[in-house]
Amino acid sequence: MESNAALHKQEFKAGHQLGLDHKKLGMWLFLSSEVMFFGGLISAFLHFKINTPSPAESALLDVALIGVNTFILLTSSFTVVLGLAAIQRGNSRALAGYLGLTILLGAVFLTGQVYEFKMLYQEGMTLQSSVYGSSFYTLTGFHGLHVLIGVVWAVFVLVNALRGRYAENEHGGVEIFGLYWHFVDIVWIVLFTIIYLV
Amino acid sequence: MKERNLFAIIVLSLVLIAVGYLVATSVDLSWLMPAQASERAVLVDRLFRFMMGIATVVFLIVEGALIYAVLRFRQKPGDESDARPVHGNNTLEIVWTLIPAVIVAVIGVYSYRVLTEVERVPDDPLVVRVISQQFSWRFEYPESGVSANVLHLPVDRPVQFQIESRDVIHSFWVPEFRVKRDATPGQIDELVLTPSQIGRYPIRCAELCGPGHAAMVSEVIVESEEDFQAWIEAGGVEVLDAGKGVPAGDKLPDDPLAAGRVVFTKYGCGACHTLDEAKTGGIVGPSLSDIGRVAAERLQGVNAVDYVRSSIVETDAFVVDGYPSGVMPNDFGERMTPEELDVLVEYLLSQ
Amino acid sequence: MSVNTAAMTEKVDWRKYFTWNTDHKVIGIQYLVTTFFFFIVGGALAMLVRTELGQPGTDLLDGVEYNRFLTNHGSVMIFLWIIPVLAGFGNYLIPLMIGARDMAFPNLNALSFWLIPPAGVLMIASFFVGSAESGWTAYVPLSVTAPLGQTLWAVSVIILGVSSLLGAINFVTTTLTMRAEGMGFWDLPLFVWGMLATALMILVATPMLTAGLILIALDRVAGTLFFDVAAGGDPVFWQNIFWFYSHPAVYIMILPGMGIISEIFPVFSRKPIFGYKAIAISSMAISVLGLTVWAHHMFTSGMNPALRIPYMITSMIIAVPTGIKIFSWLGTIWDGKLRFTTPMLFALGFISMFLIGGITGIFLASIPVDLHVHDTYFVVAHLHFVLFGGSVSAVYAGLYYWFPKITGRKYDERLGKVHFWMNFIGTNLSYLPMFLAGLLGMPRRVVDYAPEFTGVNQLATVGAYLLGLSTLPFLYNAIVSWARGPRAESNPWRALTLEWTTSSPPPEHNFDERPVMKIWPYSYGEVEVESEATGPVASAGD
Repeated sequence: MESNAALHKQEFKAGHQLGLDHKKLGMWLFLSSEVMFFGGLISAFLHFKINTPSPAESALLDVALIGVNTFILLTSSFTVVLGLAAIQRGNSRALAGYLGLTILLGAVFLTGQVYEFKMLYQEGMTLQSSVYGSSFYTLTGFHGLHVLIGVVWAVFVLVNALRGRYAENEHGGVEIFGLYWHFVDIVWIVLFTIIYLV
Repeated sequence: MKERNLFAIIVLSLVLIAVGYLVATSVDLSWLMPAQASERAVLVDRLFRFMMGIATVVFLIVEGALIYAVLRFRQKPGDESDARPVHGNNTLEIVWTLIPAVIVAVIGVYSYRVLTEVERVPDDPLVVRVISQQFSWRFEYPESGVSANVLHLPVDRPVQFQIESRDVIHSFWVPEFRVKRDATPGQIDELVLTPSQIGRYPIRCAELCGPGHAAMVSEVIVESEEDFQAWIEAGGVEVLDAGKGVPAGDKLPDDPLAAGRVVFTKYGCGACHTLDEAKTGGIVGPSLSDIGRVAAERLQGVNAVDYVRSSIVETDAFVVDGYPSGVMPNDFGERMTPEELDVLVEYLLSQ
Repeated sequence: MSVNTAAMTEKVDWRKYFTWNTDHKVIGIQYLVTTFFFFIVGGALAMLVRTELGQPGTDLLDGVEYNRFLTNHGSVMIFLWIIPVLAGFGNYLIPLMIGARDMAFPNLNALSFWLIPPAGVLMIASFFVGSAESGWTAYVPLSVTAPLGQTLWAVSVIILGVSSLLGAINFVTTTLTMRAEGMGFWDLPLFVWGMLATALMILVATPMLTAGLILIALDRVAGTLFFDVAAGGDPVFWQNIFWFYSHPAVYIMILPGMGIISEIFPVFSRKPIFGYKAIAISSMAISVLGLTVWAHHMFTSGMNPALRIPYMITSMIIAVPTGIKIFSWLGTIWDGKLRFTTPMLFALGFISMFLIGGITGIFLASIPVDLHVHDTYFVVAHLHFVLFGGSVSAVYAGLYYWFPKITGRKYDERLGKVHFWMNFIGTNLSYLPMFLAGLLGMPRRVVDYAPEFTGVNQLATVGAYLLGLSTLPFLYNAIVSWARGPRAESNPWRALTLEWTTSSPPPEHNFDERPVMKIWPYSYGEVEVESEATGPVASAGD
């Protein structure tokens, strides 16, 4: 069976002629469905924000705090790019360093979000206080969950990097993680715009 | 050979068009639909007939071709060879793309025209509020303040319904009017129509609304303008299952038991509860046919009057085993006048 | 085309079907068998529902029980039978049809199967805690106040959505990257095209349902207010989200079926498929258009009246690509040399019954008519003609057609024909009267009805019993033939798609030799189809 599995890898040229790496394609497909998932939650948020506004509660949002948080998350995307560039040059140690930084930035973002939630709860804006509150926490909460999953994933990638699993021409794992992480960042930019800026 | 095929196709097409035309115009299709009791029913049925004509032709073409092929092109015994390879035919494919496109375009335009016609809001309609809740209908006439659980409408006068729900989504449907409209909590759904035929027709809930969905029925009585006015002036008359001539609203009969029965009917209790005396057969909630005896024995320390009264006002106070809680509407305390509540309790205890 | 005799004599270890196995063929069989079990569960629920409706009054079930049974009937049939059984065909067939050794992500594939049994258990377990009772549509606010089982139902459907999503990722990736050498897009078997269109729809539509179900679950569990009208929640919003998924779901349930019968017609007509590209493109067209029609389920609800018009138009336009397919199939059998095997009969039955479902769909798309027939038995009849007359017929056609390939055995053709006729008569007897009931004024989902509907309901109930009975010859045939049927050769139907070039059943690695696409899959009449035997293809002649 081993030989057949090996053949499996090299043989099927038609697909490879398209220049498609199946893991990357799978990730892209997954992310496209994630776009629709967030699309659903975003449409819920916008629907209720427009039709059942809660000005008192939306005024509680701390744009400055979350602005800083947004900057932190964006920076973490940048560190992933730098990490990938490092391993493409074959520098495994630099990759590990950048991944560590990414994990740290992701954790700071999550801490900021938890802090924000705590403040808002103290002000009386909760999951049950209004439809606005319900949709706000659901939307940002599910994004936060995605960041958390990303941070955990980054830890696995970091462990692999430290074990020397990646090399100049063997960095698919980093790349796929990067796709996910950038996606989560892009979603946040959309959320930041519609929740905090508009 | 070619000539003959062409000839056959032309003859067949003419026959099919004739069949379609007959279905759309003169074949008796009245058995497919209930009576036409509103002006929109006439228009909707005309559209329906038109579509039936087209549908019949399409159906005959496809099923006919299928059956013909099955009979004509079966494998000859012992013939293991393949058929003549044909990969397609551009002309044919364009034809069977364009013709359906034209057909649906025609149906679409026709539907649109019927829709704008039937939904045109008339000047000065009779306004009726339709209030739905699990599992009963109530109709209010804001102009006269009358409220009833049977819908009375004058014939040939445009009506505008304002449909609302107090709990879950219901759907107000009168098949003879050929229209339904959801009653969505939190919003008022409007519907216009003009009843065109005197008679009594069923009102059915068309959206699954809970255990008593099937029993959420009422009746619309389309009557002459004079009869309608008389009914309004009498303050609305409750007739559903409960006999005739009993005034409702604020004017309850003097006999408390008769009055209790009116209240029982007015609030649609029978949709969920069986009560032999009122000839209702609801099965969602417990039977009330001998509630007078049961109420006294049900719970120690609670007398019969308190038991029945609490069960109406605080609906989940004493839920009978085997029946779901949270199903019975919990606003009867606010909706009933104290007098109504008193006579209802008395009536129930007499059972 | 050599036969791998080693694989044929190899003893099949049945225990592997109960393990985490990454072989797409094992997973395919796991899917087919598991989902058929749920088909029987859903069918038993339907028998109870039809028995209750055999006469007016509430004799067998009360209102609560009835709503629970009908909710679970719909949910099981859609989420645990039709959608996953078609995924089962996709799993078994796509790698074989495109000449691959396995799916692109074998472990993910195993995961998508193993999500199904727990989700099914969860859905059925909900019976013991007060089952979901607001229909498979779970309209709010009814579904928010329903008993605990509704939460389990929501979780179950979310899990099944994830399973179908992972499957879709696998199908698309496999089809795009792992085709045999020489196989371009216009060489793909039409079943693969159907699955591709389906998978793309799943990717777009299913996450929307997941998001919506999360909102319902949160309302029930965490006290959020999305559908709490008093706090400004909006029941119509759920309908939008729900139908954004659930109308495409209809195409998710029919496109692979159309793919299956597009494989069957050419083989048993001994003719190339008529209009290959038109069929492939129309699948894609349906998958794109299908995403734009959802609000035709909401013409009677409080949506913006002006917005109904575009939805009416898009809904009607879908008739065009659907018509193209039907006419192309007719073009395929026209002037062919038809062999009336069981799969062919089911495929012919598919056209004749799906046609009725399709035509009545136009009536439902026309707003003025829909305002009368919406939420009535007319809709029940329509959807069953599409999903039972259509999808289930296609599933049966596929099960018979690939039975020799999957099991390495021949089925009994006589029993297959008995099954077909019971199924065909039962379907029409059961669902045709429902059109009349709906037009005359019988709402759907009612435990009781006015006495004037008794006749049509009794006919429908008799038809339903016939359908219930029709599974018996099938089950007997499948089980006995699988165990003791005569051995099938590798290409009993003399078909041209790649799965028939390997042994029956195929070896674990699918192909002994590197498959290269040399013959276009529908070149009947243009190439000599090699086969070891050209005798009768099933164990008993007709």
